[in-house]
Amino acid sequence: MPLLTFFGSLIFRGNVIRGGAFAICNISLSLILSFILFMQVWNGPAIHEQFSWFTIGSWELQVGVLLNNLSVLMLLLVSGIALLVNIYSTKYMQGDPYIRRYWAYLGLFCFSMLGLVIVDNLLLIYMFWELVGFSSYLLIGFWFTRSTAVRANKKAFIMNRLGDLGFLIGIMILFSQFQTLDVTRLFGADGLVKAAVVSGGSWIGSAGSMPAEWLTTAGIVFFLAAVAKSAQFPLHTWLPDAMEGPTSVSSLIHAATMVAAGVFLIARVYPLFDDTVLLVIASIGAFTAFMAATIALTQNDIKRILAYSTISQLGFMMLAMGVGASGSALFHLVTHAFFKCLLFLAAGAIIHEMAHLKEKSGKDFDPQDIRNMGGLRKHMPVTFITMAIGSLALVALPLTSGYLSKDAILIQSFEWAEGSAGWHRLIPVSAMITSWLTAFYISRLIFKVFFGEFRLSALTGGHVHEAHAAMRYVLVILSVFCLFPVFSFHPLLFEDAWILQGFPQIDSMTRVNAFHTVVPAAVNLISIALICLCYRWYAATAKAPDYSRSVLFKFSQDQWHIDRFYSSVLVSGTTRFAGLLYWIDRHIVDGLVNTAGALGRRLAAGSRWIDRYVVDGLVNFSGYLAGVVGNFVRHFQTGRLQHYLVTMLIIILTLFIFKYYTAAI
Amino acid sequence: MSLLSILIFLPLLAGLLILIIPASARNSYKYVALAAVCIQVLISAYIYLNFNGDVYSGVDTEAKFQLVERVPWINLNLGAMGKLQIDYFLGIDGLSMPFLVLTSIVMLVALIASWEIKVNLKGYFALFLLLDTAVLGVFSALDFFLFYIFYELMLLPLYFLIGMWGGIRREYAAIKFFLYTLFGSVFMLLVIIGLYFSVTDPVTGNHTFNMLSMMDPKNYVDGSIFSALANAEFFGISARLIGFIVLFIAFAIKVPIVPLHTWLPDAHVEAPTPVSIILAGILLKIGGYGILRACVSIFPDAAVQSAWWLGLIGVISILYGALNALAQKDLKRMIAYSSVSHMGFVLLGIASVTAEGISGAMMQMISHGFLSSMLFFLVGVIYSRVHDRSIPNFRGLALIMPRYTAFIMIAFFASLGLPGFSAFIAEAFSLIGAFNSSSINGLLPRWMAVCGSIGIFLSACYFLWTLQRMFFGETRLMGGDKWKALLTDVNPRELTVLCILTSFALVLGIMPSLAFDKMNASVLELIRLVNLK
Repeated sequence: MPLLTFFGSLIFRGNVIRGGAFAICNISLSLILSFILFMQVWNGPAIHEQFSWFTIGSWELQVGVLLNNLSVLMLLLVSGIALLVNIYSTKYMQGDPYIRRYWAYLGLFCFSMLGLVIVDNLLLIYMFWELVGFSSYLLIGFWFTRSTAVRANKKAFIMNRLGDLGFLIGIMILFSQFQTLDVTRLFGADGLVKAAVVSGGSWIGSAGSMPAEWLTTAGIVFFLAAVAKSAQFPLHTWLPDAMEGPTSVSSLIHAATMVAAGVFLIARVYPLFDDTVLLVIASIGAFTAFMAATIALTQNDIKRILAYSTISQLGFMMLAMGVGASGSALFHLVTHAFFKCLLFLAAGAIIHEMAHLKEKSGKDFDPQDIRNMGGLRKHMPVTFITMAIGSLALVALPLTSGYLSKDAILIQSFEWAEGSAGWHRLIPVSAMITSWLTAFYISRLIFKVFFGEFRLSALTGGHVHEAHAAMRYVLVILSVFCLFPVFSFHPLLFEDAWILQGFPQIDSMTRVNAFHTVVPAAVNLISIALICLCYRWYAATAKAPDYSRSVLFKFSQDQWHIDRFYSSVLVSGTTRFAGLLYWIDRHIVDGLVNTAGALGRRLAAGSRWIDRYVVDGLVNFSGYLAGVVGNFVRHFQTGRLQHYLVTMLIIILTLFIFKYYTAAI
Repeated sequence: MSLLSILIFLPLLAGLLILIIPASARNSYKYVALAAVCIQVLISAYIYLNFNGDVYSGVDTEAKFQLVERVPWINLNLGAMGKLQIDYFLGIDGLSMPFLVLTSIVMLVALIASWEIKVNLKGYFALFLLLDTAVLGVFSALDFFLFYIFYELMLLPLYFLIGMWGGIRREYAAIKFFLYTLFGSVFMLLVIIGLYFSVTDPVTGNHTFNMLSMMDPKNYVDGSIFSALANAEFFGISARLIGFIVLFIAFAIKVPIVPLHTWLPDAHVEAPTPVSIILAGILLKIGGYGILRACVSIFPDAAVQSAWWLGLIGVISILYGALNALAQKDLKRMIAYSSVSHMGFVLLGIASVTAEGISGAMMQMISHGFLSSMLFFLVGVIYSRVHDRSIPNFRGLALIMPRYTAFIMIAFFASLGLPGFSAFIAEAFSLIGAFNSSSINGLLPRWMAVCGSIGIFLSACYFLWTLQRMFFGETRLMGGDKWKALLTDVNPRELTVLCILTSFALVLGIMPSLAFDKMNASVLELIRLVNLK
């Protein structure tokens, strides 16, 4: 059965041919299959099937499919949202010249995302992890003629690669320690990670041991992978830029599913984390949530606001993971997937209409800027209502799904802080402040977009109307999933939620009853107060105090200067360093080689000189000498008999005299 | 006459045939060459299918080699110095067999790329086939003397191929390449002779060039310079270590390692496209193969001793090559430096002496063989159209050459290690092996693997940056509309080549067992040999 799903999702790749209908058929099929699997597996025995993939040396790599509560939940979530987004896209992307590529990329994404959640081996998870990043790269850069889009997808891929690096190092550590990458054998109830002990400063696994620092390192590097994928500080800057992709893609990948993969990974490898790493996770999560919320306060691009809101909510999930409330984190993941997907799709509907308006009127304005909108609730009532429901869920007001999951996180983090040292309390407190900020920025968005007067009516004169039916229905369905009955029959008590009951409860924390009433009350009362304030500022009187000159405002609007820091310091630093190395390569390394060559040539020239003037000189000199002698002797060869006779006479006389006198001596 | 000999000398015969065919039929040259290379591909496919990796694990036992052919070749009675014994000794095991297949396929690709060659066809194809013979000979020779002959034989055709059909600075590049390689191999000859005088054939008692005999410590003459027991020293360094280092440098120049790499960018950039393909696709692998076959197998003790340095050189090559690639403005030079970076993984994997590391290194060589061929071929496509390959001169090629861009994306992403392609498995396991080494044999510290993995990150940077600069955005070309007309999308001939290479990279990425199953036993055998010391 799981294999069937696997192949079912493999078919997606072929969907280039028939476009939308084929893609929708496939994804519905896989939704149905996921649903059947979900029914089978949820709270029942996990399904685990394996086959041998390849053998390297004497080590056999077994891979297969693992379906437990976590994976079937993700399976259902991914295929469900993917189906809705697919339906939405048929209208949203209509008329795009490259629509076939769009379906193909989307299919590839669904394939890799579904693969990611069901495989049982870290190496395979890594493979799908990268494939997810790759398909996201393709989809962000779908409009590849826009230079901003291309730069954004490069940035997204490279930042994700940094996380992949962490993942790979984590795999290396675990493989070296346990000689297996099987998730169940590593992280199962009686898995190897749990069996491994730290003693005497070294971490002893089943196949080897290494200094205890590597245990922490392993946790940190896996967290790094999650940080990149789930856009946490300091690797969050790719996500807002990724909004260059089509909005349907942003909604599916960059809000509901892919970015949640980081949280999913953390849940998979959870037993690996020691206390240090958990604290790091909680702090980073809380900080990211806070930072992103403050940035979202001042942005004007509707998608950017939602992107920062996503980062902020992912921060909440990380925070929950860090404080040990992994069940709540996953619960929030699910509820967030629905309401954020809804918000994005609704924003997409608005952008779609605004873009049409722009085309029709021929005027130049930014269809994503909320300052250009206003009063849209009269023209797009369905969009307004659904988006309002989504926002309420985001703010976590009672009766919505967000209330259940976010309160679970907040309460549990307070409980966690209660049992820890003093400054740990900063974490739940900052989380609470963040949820107030959330209430502010999302109501600012809603009121600016839907209330007041349409700000461009003078410029364009055109009318905005409701989105197409396919898009509208999707919004309605999603908004149903933002309400409490889907998750829990008790609208106020998160512990009744069925998803939470599917995951191991944490019993280390004592239940502090006071928190269960005080925290939600505090959050909600102040949130409502802030919403009212927003209404007065942005909708009713439309006279918001102007803070845009203050330092904090600028700090927030420039996204804490993080992006600027990266591009001016890190990126140009690396390229400059690369340039320097190339210079060294050309002039020093290669220079040495060329110098050696030149030296060789000099040497050759020198020896040529010596050869010519010394060695050959000697030869020539001897030849010359022979010539001179010959010339001299030639004079005797006159050919006249008389001369010869005289010469002979002289020689004989000389010899005679010589002989005579020698004898005398 | 065994299959191996046929495989090796078939191209040579075809080359001679080309020399005989009169110049009036010059159009037939390429078809003769194509026929020879196609037969060669078929033979190597047959060898691959019939190769039993588990039985023929090879490395140091003659009986474990497949297709062994051993004929006495030169036997001279030297009187007091004994008998000179050189055998014509061929055979394959799991370490060499994959390279025979790789060579045949890359040669086929290079030959199809040679359709662009327009001048002096007779010389070109004859030299091309001579080179083919030499390369196949290197991969199957088991007698060191024979190995050396084939090894040197490669230089001659390459020198002319670069020097006569190359780019603007071709003569400089050719001489640089030739001298660099010769520098290494001349010293290698000294070591070979030293080994010859140290080793005797256990059967005949003569001194021998047999590489397998050199791997067994029992065959060393007492008191000879390379005998492990004699512990001869030069300048206070053991002779075996020096022998190892000299052989290593000879092969490392081919790999190439930093800082002996500077011949590579020049040679690759100046060489014509098919020769770049051969250089990157096969010749670099001869370096890696030589390190495994000769350095590590004959001097295992010295290999263990210097593993740390080998690993360090590997890591430096990975990072240095990647950063240099990041700084390039010439597409071909960028790819040349990326080769340096990718071959660093090979060295790192070999240095780990773990099953994962060496298998990863082998896989990396095979995978890089396909992928670098593909990359150079792709550069050749664009260069043959507009005779320019400078990255800033192009922009938005995706709009006018969509299929070409698709292949560039495949090649780039496969090279940067996207899962599903062979390079991912190769790099991941080289690194896993390197990391694991400190737990298994304590040869490499763990930080080396960690630093090496940064190379994977950097490769994403330079490939994606290039992609963004050259292919995406609105079309803007340096040569304006003239270029736009010239830059046509890939033609069917190019499409064939690209599809072949893509499918190999993809198949090996999805089913790495196709390669691993054939070489596992040999890799384990090699590790056993090293651990035996």
